[in-house]
Amino acid sequence: MNDAALALSTFAYGPQTLAAALGAPLVLMLACASARLRRFGPAYLVVAPLFALAACVLASDSGPLVLDQMIYPIVLVLDPPGALLLGVTSLLWLAAGIFAASSMRDETESGAFVAFWLATLVGNIGVFMAADVASFYLFFALVSLPAYGLIVAQARMADSAGGLYVSVALLGEAFLILAFALLASATPDHSLLISDGVDALPASPWRDATIGLLIAGFGTKIGLLPLHVWMPSTYRAAPVAAAAVLSGGAVNAGVIGLVRFFPWGHAVPVWGEALVVLGMSAAFYGVAIGLTQRNPKTMLAYSSISQMGLVAATLGAGLVAGNKGAAAGAALYAAHHGLAKGGLFLAVGVLSGCGTLRMRRLTPFVGLLALSLAGLPFSGGVIAKLAIKQPLGDGLLGALSTLSAIATTLLMLHFLRRVAALAEPRVSNPGWALITPMFAMIAASIMAPTAYYFAIENHRLVSLDAALFWESLWPILVGALIAAAARRWLERLPALPEGDVGAFAARPFGLFARGGAAADRGEIILRRWPVAAGALMVVAIMISGMGVLKP
Amino acid sequence: MIASTLSQLSMRAEDALLPVAIALPVGAMLLALCLGGRWTERIAVAFMPIGVSIAGAVAYVVWRDQRPLVYFIGGWAPPLGVAIRADGVAAAMLLTSALIASAAGLFACDVFRVKPGEKENRAHLGFWTLLLAIWAALNCVFVGWDLFSIYVGLEMLTFAAVPLVCLKGQKETFVAAMRYLLFALLGSVLYLLGATLVYAAYGSLDIGILAQKIQPEAAAWIALGAMTAGLLAKTALFPLHIWLPPAHAGAAPPASAILSALVVKGSFFVVVRLWLTLAPVQMSEAPAELLAILGSVAIFAGSVLALRQERLKLMIAYSTVAQIGYLFLMFPLAIGQHPWASAAWSGGALQAISHAFAKAAMFLSAGLIVDVVGHDRLSGLRGLGRLAPQPVLIFALAGMSLMGLPPSGGFNAKWLLMSASVQSGHWALALVMAVGGLLTAAYLYRVIAPALAPAENAPAESASTPTPKASSRGAALSLALALAAILLGFAPPELASLLAVGAPAATIERIE
Repeated sequence: MNDAALALSTFAYGPQTLAAALGAPLVLMLACASARLRRFGPAYLVVAPLFALAACVLASDSGPLVLDQMIYPIVLVLDPPGALLLGVTSLLWLAAGIFAASSMRDETESGAFVAFWLATLVGNIGVFMAADVASFYLFFALVSLPAYGLIVAQARMADSAGGLYVSVALLGEAFLILAFALLASATPDHSLLISDGVDALPASPWRDATIGLLIAGFGTKIGLLPLHVWMPSTYRAAPVAAAAVLSGGAVNAGVIGLVRFFPWGHAVPVWGEALVVLGMSAAFYGVAIGLTQRNPKTMLAYSSISQMGLVAATLGAGLVAGNKGAAAGAALYAAHHGLAKGGLFLAVGVLSGCGTLRMRRLTPFVGLLALSLAGLPFSGGVIAKLAIKQPLGDGLLGALSTLSAIATTLLMLHFLRRVAALAEPRVSNPGWALITPMFAMIAASIMAPTAYYFAIENHRLVSLDAALFWESLWPILVGALIAAAARRWLERLPALPEGDVGAFAARPFGLFARGGAAADRGEIILRRWPVAAGALMVVAIMISGMGVLKP
Repeated sequence: MIASTLSQLSMRAEDALLPVAIALPVGAMLLALCLGGRWTERIAVAFMPIGVSIAGAVAYVVWRDQRPLVYFIGGWAPPLGVAIRADGVAAAMLLTSALIASAAGLFACDVFRVKPGEKENRAHLGFWTLLLAIWAALNCVFVGWDLFSIYVGLEMLTFAAVPLVCLKGQKETFVAAMRYLLFALLGSVLYLLGATLVYAAYGSLDIGILAQKIQPEAAAWIALGAMTAGLLAKTALFPLHIWLPPAHAGAAPPASAILSALVVKGSFFVVVRLWLTLAPVQMSEAPAELLAILGSVAIFAGSVLALRQERLKLMIAYSTVAQIGYLFLMFPLAIGQHPWASAAWSGGALQAISHAFAKAAMFLSAGLIVDVVGHDRLSGLRGLGRLAPQPVLIFALAGMSLMGLPPSGGFNAKWLLMSASVQSGHWALALVMAVGGLLTAAYLYRVIAPALAPAENAPAESASTPTPKASSRGAALSLALALAAILLGFAPPELASLLAVGAPAATIERIE
């Protein structure tokens, strides 16, 4: 294994592979502008992520790619957490691309959908490679904003999901540009390398403001409480393939951001604790609200809020202790979550409209994927849980993590029940082009975390450890018992509005409209000649007066 | 021997660039006016490559020599004679206005062309001569190095811009033009008053000499206050913006593009000259803060009012009111010999340049949209993306730069200004920029979201009438402008070194 890794790390064309990974989807995106080339849109979805998949192996730990012909040079590198997340993300984009190509013919041949898809893909690949602040911001914007076009591709007219999504995404961009400006201003020589900025961060006069803005900015992406309000309606409104890449791929842009920009090795207790509290609250809040939902896609969104809460809590615990291991653990957890969640969204697409018989055959495999999120033994989930065990510790946080596995089991079993209700007796069954991507995700969710864990950490086959086996199995058994016992009660839960607190957040917009009406009236007053001429004189007198009246 | 003669010759050719940059468009305008008819368009179009080459050559020479290009009219240096001078920012503005005037002019070939067999009318003759006049006036303002040459340039700019508003000859455009004219005249009077006061107090109008002589005393304060107020009226900084929206929204698309992208930048550029080059630092500190406050209010008020508009072109015009506010945020950041001042200077210049490209592209794409849908009501744009994808793409690309999203010139400008405001402790300005970006996104969303949504009843409509198509040349030209705004985000370091030439953070050399 090590020899192989060594041989790969000396691969001479690593930097060029990074360029190809970004260049391929970019070129295909430009091809969408031509009416003749646009017809091959479905093929682009499949081809585009292949280069990134190759890059995650070939370019890992190779030298950086530097494009310095600009005012802000672009520096791209692939470190181990980046390579892991790049690998699983491009795999998911590939699977979802195949799914979209066969399930959305109209959209994928019309150009715009494919262009938005590829732009989001470029951003999603780029965030894992970007080593400087400016290009990171660029890729983060790309993974966030063009996704609007994916979300509204099939949305109904009055659906506000796309608007809510893009509002929160833009809010995140605003937080991040402030954070990055603070970070870069505190960096010696105004270097824009992320590593230089993070090294200087502990001594920065704006340390706390920077970290707070980083948490808020990346929190919008990972759905950190209370910035999660966009997630349920977005994943519900988006076509299945788009929901898969957003929930499994794009969300990890937020995770890699926190991993890259936190000053690991320096304890930042206050923000770390805040992140732990928010994250752990989300871990349970997400499950609680998710259980009340009727739509399986909305339930998966709430599961994402819960799972990303655990990631945030892990990172927070690492920030409190100044523990670099938390970053690697959180990245591995997020990688597994991406594969499993992406696979589950594809599964919703496969199963809805599936015949009863086929549904019965497929459900066990979907169940495997669902319970993998709770850490089912021999799944990738158990490796993921293992990865965050050390940073969370054995105390209260460890116990809460185990409890959250019970809660996740409960939510996932309820989800399976809701999906099963989608079966219809006489509907044509999905073709292999739809089923294969889902099975690919199931296989990858088991193999990728395991392979990475053993390759990087050189661990023994811990999954077979009897103590660990039991430790990961019992929360699932307890969860299953509760689910069986409380089945009736769960069915009768009142359906809370999708987006929960977000449903009440519309109030400030009313205030804004009233402010707008006042602005209209002000404008009419300003338009009167005496007022306009008066304003001109006042400006002249104010500027002159600044010096003349000074003692 | 020959080599040295040649090098002398080439030196002379370089020196002649600046006067030629002013004289040639004036000459072209006069020629067009004399020949009339279809010649006006031919002369204007023929001048475009020449004008762009001259501006490009000025920018190249300034960048290569890393010092401002100076020319003394008649060979007499100030205080006796008059100097014209192009520093880095002036050269960049020359090139920007040459490119945008050319693109908008070529776009206008479809609108203001005398068709064979048709009689020439006021609009045909007017547009092309006014275009050349605006071009000459802008060049004069950018390279003017004494307050009177600048005054001449500003007057020419106003008198060429006002008729451009009402070329279509509708009643409401005349009302808008009259309001613009009166406001701009008030501004001119104030500027002239200030310039006269300066001459009376210091005996010179040369900016280089005045920069050494001027003292924070009553005469200087009153003069600068009057001149600044006059210039702000012409720039339409809030609350002096009320003439702008009806004027810019009512004009024909290529005219709107020139007015919004370039004309307001002329008087803004002079405000920069006054407070960052001419006035001493201890004098400009307080007014700079006031200008930034007015700019912040302009961003909020302009954006909120843009959100309230029901018409596409009015919304874009109010967006100009907001974006002008951004320009004024540079003042408190760029004064003095601070490490952040040069970033703020480049940021302000880049904001002016990228807004020019983005706003020109946006007005032109709005023209294409109106051609396709036949109206400019925001409520009727649903499904436009399927009907006319190109104008929507152009609008969105231009919008990216206005929002300050990467990659775009708007982003680079915002980044430079934001870093400067953090480093100089102007926290509020960083917040204003962040919130302003969100408000910009909010009003642009009102166009982009319905455009991307599936059409309601398009099939029925398109079945009965064939969809009018946007002109492909117009689309290509406005796409080029939008791409320029985007590509400024990948600008090479050479652009930064050009903008830094003659920046106030480096001491102004006195022209001997």
